[in-house]
This record gives sequence, structure tokens and C-alpha cells, in this order.
Amino acid sequence: METNRLVKFVLKNSTAVLFVLIFIMFGLIAPRFFTAKNFQNIMSNASYIGIIAVGMTFVLLTGGIDLSVGSTMYLSAVVCGKLINEAGLPVFPAVMVSLLVGLMVGAVNAFAITRLRLVPFITTLITQTIARGFGLFITRSVAVNYPDSVTLMSTSKVLGFIPLQIFIFLMVVLLASIVLNRTRYGRQLYAVGNDLESAKKAGIKSDRLIASTYMISGLLAALGGFVTITQIGRVNAGFGSGDEFDAIAAAVLGGASLFGGIGTVFPGTVLGTVMIEMIQAGLVFANIDIYIQPIIMAAIIFSAVFIDSVRTTQIKKLERRNILKV
Amino acid sequence: MAEVVFAYKNITKRFFGVHALNNVSFELERGKILGLVGENGAGKSTLMNILGGVLQPDEGEMFLSGEPYVPESPLDATCAGIEFIHQELNLFTNLSVAENISISSFPCIRRTPFIHRRAMQDSSRKLLQSLNLDISPNILVENLSPGERQLVEIAKALSTNADILLFDEPTTSLTANETENLFAIMRRLRDEGKSIIYISHILSDVQELVDDIVVLRDGQVMGGGPIADFPIHRMINLMVGREIDNVFPDRIPSIKDRVILSCEHVSETGMVRDINLSVREGEIVGMFGLMGSGRTEFARMLFGIDPYKEGSIVVDGEPLPKHNPQESIKRGLAFITENRREEGLLMDYPILENIGLVSLPDYSAAVTRLVDSKRLFKRADEVASSLRLKCNDLKNQKVKSLSGGNQQKVVIGKWLLKDPSLLIMDEPTRGIDVGAKYEVYLIMERLASEGTGILFISSEIEELMAMCDRIVVWSQGEVMREFRREDFSQERIMRIAFRQDIDYDMEEKVVVNGNE
Amino acid sequence: MKQTLRPANLAKRILMSEYFVLYLTIVYLIVLTPIIPRLWHPMNIQNVLSNMWPLLVVAIGQTFVLILAGIDLSQTSVMAMSSVVGAVVMTSSADPVLFTKSPLWGTLLTDQGGLMASSPFALPVGIAVMLAVGLAIGFLNGFSVAIFRMPPFIVTLVSMMLFSAMAIFLTKSENIRHLPDSYLQISKTTFSVVSGSLVIAIVLAVIAHMVLTRTLFGKRLYAVGINTTASQISGVPTRKTIIAAYMVSGLCAAIAAILYSSRLEMGRPTLGSTLFIDIVGANIIGGISLAGGKGKVTWTIFGVFFFIILANSLNMLNLSFYIIDMVKGSVILVAALLDVARNRIRKAQM
Repeated sequence: METNRLVKFVLKNSTAVLFVLIFIMFGLIAPRFFTAKNFQNIMSNASYIGIIAVGMTFVLLTGGIDLSVGSTMYLSAVVCGKLINEAGLPVFPAVMVSLLVGLMVGAVNAFAITRLRLVPFITTLITQTIARGFGLFITRSVAVNYPDSVTLMSTSKVLGFIPLQIFIFLMVVLLASIVLNRTRYGRQLYAVGNDLESAKKAGIKSDRLIASTYMISGLLAALGGFVTITQIGRVNAGFGSGDEFDAIAAAVLGGASLFGGIGTVFPGTVLGTVMIEMIQAGLVFANIDIYIQPIIMAAIIFSAVFIDSVRTTQIKKLERRNILKV
Repeated sequence: MAEVVFAYKNITKRFFGVHALNNVSFELERGKILGLVGENGAGKSTLMNILGGVLQPDEGEMFLSGEPYVPESPLDATCAGIEFIHQELNLFTNLSVAENISISSFPCIRRTPFIHRRAMQDSSRKLLQSLNLDISPNILVENLSPGERQLVEIAKALSTNADILLFDEPTTSLTANETENLFAIMRRLRDEGKSIIYISHILSDVQELVDDIVVLRDGQVMGGGPIADFPIHRMINLMVGREIDNVFPDRIPSIKDRVILSCEHVSETGMVRDINLSVREGEIVGMFGLMGSGRTEFARMLFGIDPYKEGSIVVDGEPLPKHNPQESIKRGLAFITENRREEGLLMDYPILENIGLVSLPDYSAAVTRLVDSKRLFKRADEVASSLRLKCNDLKNQKVKSLSGGNQQKVVIGKWLLKDPSLLIMDEPTRGIDVGAKYEVYLIMERLASEGTGILFISSEIEELMAMCDRIVVWSQGEVMREFRREDFSQERIMRIAFRQDIDYDMEEKVVVNGNE
Repeated sequence: MKQTLRPANLAKRILMSEYFVLYLTIVYLIVLTPIIPRLWHPMNIQNVLSNMWPLLVVAIGQTFVLILAGIDLSQTSVMAMSSVVGAVVMTSSADPVLFTKSPLWGTLLTDQGGLMASSPFALPVGIAVMLAVGLAIGFLNGFSVAIFRMPPFIVTLVSMMLFSAMAIFLTKSENIRHLPDSYLQISKTTFSVVSGSLVIAIVLAVIAHMVLTRTLFGKRLYAVGINTTASQISGVPTRKTIIAAYMVSGLCAAIAAILYSSRLEMGRPTLGSTLFIDIVGANIIGGISLAGGKGKVTWTIFGVFFFIILANSLNMLNLSFYIIDMVKGSVILVAALLDVARNRIRKAQM
């Protein structure tokens, strides 16, 4: 009975367990891993994928998927850069406009999915192509550079000790967690992801909710894009490409289900994102060949998804209703 | 006289020119339970959808407490104080009980979008207590049993202070005890002044519970009035429109000596314990028990869908060690599952492909695996006509366009193509109309006379008693007792299923009910 | 009354027809001919066809998985892996400057080329190895989906990441040249039209069509795509069927890798990396839905044909690549919308 309970605990908290194991493993390989500086780096790197992954979590909760976030990042960053560089707009309004661009891409996805009844996978695959195409059209596929006023932001500290990007990430997480756990909107979102038909019958405006998740995802993708440009200061034609997969991986590592209804921003997605960054940092510390790093990454994501599917079947078995009354 | 809460007046609804409802009128009185019965397709669900604002009538009016009532959406119905408790539950397994109860109207802190969790939990707790359901409002619905979920669904309906409650086949997933508890709650709600419409196929339940009844056939009201004037045979009479003095075919036992199936000491942790069972050639063995007594679970183990830990299953004298449906099929087993839609049929696929699915390997060439479609069609056509399957086009018509009874015939046909030696039928007559039921019984009788052994699982004791040579009574994962045909007694079988049996010969007056 | 209804009816019938995409392609070609006369130049025809055959092959593989209501994102990495592995086996010389850092250097790859360098068996062994790579990756995908019940999207996403990283790792991002002549001959064209690629693609399409419509496996594939549980209880070996479908998908991707790398005359670790949207796009244009249970090889052929003509004509209009991408995306969007519209009409007719 006791082992049963232990198994159940480990399975139910597999993300956290995996997290701790990996953490300890890298610590043993490279003691420098356990430094405050390193943790700050990890968090700092995690922030932009984390922000996008939070948006992705909203979409995944409804059983959808958003493959367009990488391109949205690119398009909004390009717009932001062009407005600053060529239209001479101050940074703040330019950033606001670029967030609006993200929101717009999200709105297009939302429209196609909830009004035109297209499948999310296809819709966002198409907007991925079109949004990037549009960004390339604006830049003629030339890289965009950002002025110091933007890049210096990455060195600014909120309250004197929290780097800006980490602060933004934490705020997004806090806000998203409150929305998902404490508001009517959030709980209804879980309901929609669990059983769409029943949600409609219960009078939940499911289309509106689903639409909103794509807009949130688009908005956060743009925000993630902005956070990245403050750090790297330059956007080339491939910017953000493939980041949608990292965001999905982070959310799924954090326990979100692709079938909807299951997943949390905190601890889930946050843990997933930090885990990915931690592994990447750890691989660097352990002096692993950079060509091997993506292979290890993929293997770890695979094992997380694998554990998750085993977990689901095992938990089902453990919780199966007993007919026999002993 | 009693106050009329709700009335249908001359409601007519057509789909593609065909009358689904034709000039339907009846009334629901305050503080009464009204039973609504009729075959599938008689118009019950159309009527309910109109009440719920899902559909609009072509003609006619509805009145709510004397005022005209014109709902345009389910929301209008909710606002008007009408709530539905459906056969399939509309609960969110990933949310807590309290959240489920208040999903449509979360109590919020003042005017913020934030949920007032304390208020939500308190009101849920009160509702749960009133339903005798002893669970925490914070537990996730996924951890509840089907019976508990049904009660949560009812709590949800009650949370809006609805005046009119509609129960559509609410007992299908309940145990007998839970059903009794539900009925007690419904009676109490009635006594508190709520008005209830109760739809069910189980006529004895209807008879026990309701005050008034309305019988529908082909979209028309065939009769209605106080339940006392409607004994079951009259209900059936009105529903099918002809006098059926015997709804079961004559059963001529044709048991041979050869044992087709014998199970010894089959056990699985938490599911079934030490099951011994045998079926002979031409024998129909019934398995009776309450919902969740292990019959279906055992049938799934037998067929190789779920694993079992101990014991042996022997088919035709040879043990059946390998554990999957394919092997079972090879050895002559067939399994008609209890839910046609999910496990029996490919709804979006033509009838022919459905009928052919099991026996495809028999009709495909050895190496190339090319399917001989002509031969398959010929055989499928033969089987379909022997089952009197009503369809237009075997090759192209999709299964989902068939009626429930004909869909069930497709499932049966699929297995008959294999000429099985043992046919497991799990609730084969559930959700099909009286006429189709009779045809299913005829098919069973024919198969048995041809030597097929049949394992017949049902919750309707009448049909088991009429069709079986033996009945095995299950309770809580165990076989309690076996009855031969000559010893069949509805009361004894029921008592054993309820585990109130031990000295049933000495104690004649045990009353079967849920409140012990 | 009847007169006025006819055009609308005809339009509906054309829209609902299985050959709608084919009609559309023909109309498109007719419209384009006066605008781009070069379209019919033998060089261009040759170009269109040589683009079409490999895409057709890989798209047919995807069709099998789509019928199952699955998806295979890893086809592109299968192409990369098998082109690299095949080239490693077949190449007759490798530049030490480029490849000394490769993990294969010194063992499987030397300046004398690969294992089968200059051997008469280089071609058959190389091709066999390439196909084996496709089958193996397909098996891994199928096994994870069928046995561990992992969602196909994630499984194939991860194997896409894994094997494309692996292909790059094996060669340290370098292309492998010096492939045997016989291998390069596969994609060489005679009379502007006929080539090994053509033969391979058409034979494969015919076989795939037969398999889907006539064989046990094909019929079971549709059944599993519609309702896995019901199929399983009806004795369909659902797991084997699922694994087989992913293996077909991997195999087709490997065959496409042969056609592509033979044309490029090299094994390329990034081969096909941008091809996923073309593969899925062609299937969607052909009318195959992601919901499963539906799809035909002929539809895939029409979809690929239209897609290739579209891409080719846009190229000939000298548009920038990003404009072309945007147009391609829009066309897939329209195709997806058409599918929705058709389903509505079908429902209304029922």
C-alpha cells in the first residue's frame, strides 16, 4: 500500500521530480552550476520562452495549438524596430504598437478558428507562414537593429535587483495564474477544455473564450519578442523561428495536455520552461558538444512526454473503481 | 384544482417535411412528477429541445404559469427556471464539485471577475447535504463514482432554484441503491412544490415514480392521465400501437452437450473474484446484476480486452492463453458491447464496411492481402437480409443514418459473418424500441437453435427470464448464485443481486429497497 | 424556375466533385498560359516534374498517417537523416578539411569515402540503408503512438527535433558529395519528362492507391482512423496498423530523400527542413482532413500537382520568396475553408 502511494506521488508530480533530479545531476557534474549568477542567467534566458509558453498554455487548455507564435514574435519585433528606426517613434509607443500587432495576429487566428471553423493546427501553421512572409516583406529580409535605448533596458533592474525581463516574466506568470485559478474566465476555460459540448450547454460562451486564448497567445508572443530584442538588439530573418516548439515543449513538460483541460501556468509551465533552460545551461557547463545539445534536449522532452503518458495510464489504473468490497 | 405550471399547446415540428411532432398538447401541474414515455423517435427529445429553447416549434405555443413562453436559447430556459438533467452527464471532470455546480453563474467578489470561493463552497455544501451526498465540495469530479456524479448534476440543476426539472433517463448509470435514493429525492422535490418531467425506458420505474403520464407515438400524444389508469401493458400498447400480449418469442431450449466455454477461478484485483462459468452449445446463459456488479468487466476479460490475473478460460476444450480480441475471434468468440456508438460501430463508415470489419481477413488473399469485395458483399447482403436490416444501400449508406435498432443489427451482423460459437451480448436491447427488441430476441433464439452459445448480459430481468436457459446472478464482482430455467423467480433473483439473500427460503418477506 | 437553378447546381456539383482541385488546376493553367508563355517550355516542364515527384512521394506517406487522424512532423527529419546516412554509405570521397570533426570520421567515413565507396554494391546497399532509416524512424514514431499512447503531434515533433539534430551532428552541418553516378541517374531526365523519379513516384502512387482501396491494411487503416476502440474490439490489430502507417510515412519520406538527394547530387543534413508546410498543404489542398478516416491517393496527387504548379508559376513571375510563401499560405487557407464549406453543404444535403 505504501509503495503504491509513493508510486502515485512520483507519477503525479513527475515534472517536479524530474526537475529536482536534473538539477542535482548538473550540480554534481559542474559545481559552478549552483551559483546565484547562474540561476539568474537561467531565469533570464527562460523569461522570453516562458512568456510565450504562458500564452501557449492558455491555448493548450482549450485543446488548441498555436504554431504561429514564432512568426508573431518576428513580425511584431520588426514593426517595433521599423517604427523606432524609420518613423522615429519613441520606444514606449512603438512597443505598444508591436504588442497590438501580436494581438492582431492572434485575432486573425481566433477569427479563423472560431468563426470560419478551421482546425487550429492548420490555421496557425498558415498564419505562421503569412506573418513571417509579411515581416520579411516589410524588411525585405534585411536584419533590423535596435538602438541602445532598447538594448539598455535589459540591464535595468526593477526594485534594484530584479532584471527587467525576469520581472516581466514573473508578472505575466502571476497575472496568468490568478486569471486561471481565481476568475470566472479561468475556470470556464478549464471547463471548455474538458468538455466543449457540455460547456456550451452550461451557457459558457465557449467561442469567445477560445478566441481570447489565441489573442492572449499572440499578445504574449509579441511581448516575448520584445523581451528578446532588449537582450540581443538585432532581429534577423530567422528570428523566433521554431520557438513555437520550445514553447509547446515547455508547456507540455510542465504537464499541459494537448487534449485540453489539463495544465497550469504555475507551477507547471514555469517549471517546464526553467527546466529547459536549466538543461541547456547545464549542457554548456558540462562542455557538451553544441551539436549534441539539441539531441539531448529532444531526448529529455521525449522522456517527459513518455513519463506523462505512462503516468496517465498508471494513475487511471491505480484509481480504477473497486467493485470488490473486501 | 392543481395549478398548471407549464403547458404545450398544439406544438407541431417538422424536419424536412416530416412531422417530428404533430399537434402535441399536454400540461404539467405544480408539485407533480409527469412521466413521458415513447419509443425512440417518438418525439420525446424534440419536445424537450423545444422546451429547452434548442429548437423552435413550427406551430403552437407554450405557456409558463399561464404566460406565453418563447425560449430562443438554452439560456432563456434557464432564466425561466427550467433545468435539464440529461442521460449523459455534463460535468467537467477537471473541476471541483463546487465549481461544477456554479459553472454557469460563479458567485463573484462584488463586481470583480474574481470568484468568491467561500460563498461558492458554502452554497454547494448545502446543496450536497440536501441530496444526502457526503462529499467535500472541493473534490474533483474525476474522483467521483457515476452515481455521485449524477447527484452532482442534480445539485447543479437545483442551484438555480429551478421550478421545473427535467430528468432524461437519469438512472442508466446508477446502481439500484442509487436509483432508489434518486427517486426519494425526486419525490421530496415534488413535495416541496417543484414540477418534474421524467423520461425513461424503464416502464416499471415510471410506474413506481410518476403521478401522471403522457405516452407519445410518432410525434403524437397517444394518451395521458394519472398513472393509476396506465398499467405497463397499456403503456406498451399505446407506444407501439398494437396489442402485444407477449413481447418475447417462445423459447424452445436446444442445449447440446458440448461445452463451448468454461471459465475456472477467474480473478482480477478489485474487479472480479473466483468466477466459474460455463456455456454449452445452443445455451443462452443470462448474467444479471446491478450496474457495476462486474458483468461487463468480466465479459471484457473473457474477450481479451482487459487483463485478468488468475484462473483459466477454456474455449471448445482448448485453453485460451493469448490475450487479445483477435485471438478470441479466431477461437470463435464474438462480443456485442453495451455501447454501440463508442465501441460497436464506425458511425461515419458505410454499413458494408462495418459488417465486413471483423471477417476482413477471411476475405483477403494470402500474400497480397487484397480483399475480395464481391464475395464479401454477397455474404454481407445475405446476413443483412437474414437480420431484416432496413437500409437503402449497403455499400454507400453510412451507419449513423440508421435507427438505433438497425444499428444494433449491423453490430450483430458484423459478428454473424464470422459464425461465432459463443456470442457475448452486453445489453443488446438497450436504447432500441420495442419492435426492434423483439427482433433481437428472435435472432437470439434462432442462433441458439443453430447451436451458438450465448452469454446474455442484461439489467432487465424480464428479458433474461424469458430468453435464458440459466441465469447467473452477480454482485460486487462475484457470482452469487445460478438459477436454472425451472427455478426462475424474479423476486429471488433480485434479492440475491441486492445481497439480501442468505436465507431467502426461510424469510419470505424481505422488502427490497435502498434505505437500510 | 429550373433554368435559374441550374448554374448554382452546377457550381455546387463542381465544388463537391472529387476532381474539383484538378479542374481548378486546369483552369489555372489555361489562365496562366498567355501570361507566362514560358510555362510550357520543356525546361520548365522538366523542372516542374522534378519538383513534383519527390513531393508526391512524401505527401502520399503523410496521407496514410492523416487517415489515421495522426500527423507526422518528422518526415522532414527522415529525409535529412536518410540522405546523410545514404550518402555516408555511398560517397566515394570526403574532404578531410570539412569532415574531420564529424563523429563518423575515421570509422564510417574517411578521405576514401564511405563504407561502400566505389564498390559496385554502393547503390543497392546505400538505398537499402536509406529506406531502413525511414522505416526505423517511422517505427519509433508508430511504436510511441500505438504502444505508449503518446499524442502523435508531440511524438513526431520530438523525433523531428531529434533526427534533424542528429543529421546535422553526424556531418557537422556539411553536405556530402561524390555520390555514385548510378545514384545520380535516378533523377536524370530523358525527353524532358521521363526519369527514374517519375517511374518510382507513379509506381508508388499506384501501389499506395491499391493498398488503401483494396487491401486488408487499407480498410483497417480507415477503420482505426474513424474509431480505434471499435476497431480493436472487432479484431483489428490497431497497434500494428498504427505502427505500419507511420512506417509507410517514414518509408515514403526516405524514398523522397532518394529522389531529392539524387537531384541535388549530395546528402544534405538540412534536406526537407522547410518542406513540412508543402507536404501538409498539398494534402489539405487535395481535400484530406486532419480529423482522420478520410483521404485518397488521387486527392493527394491533385493536391501536389496544384501546389507545384502554383509554386512554379509564382517563381516565374519573379516574385520574392516571402511573397510566394504568403500566397502559398493563403491558398492552403482557402483550401481549408473549402473543406469546411463542403462539409456544411454535405450536412445540409443529408
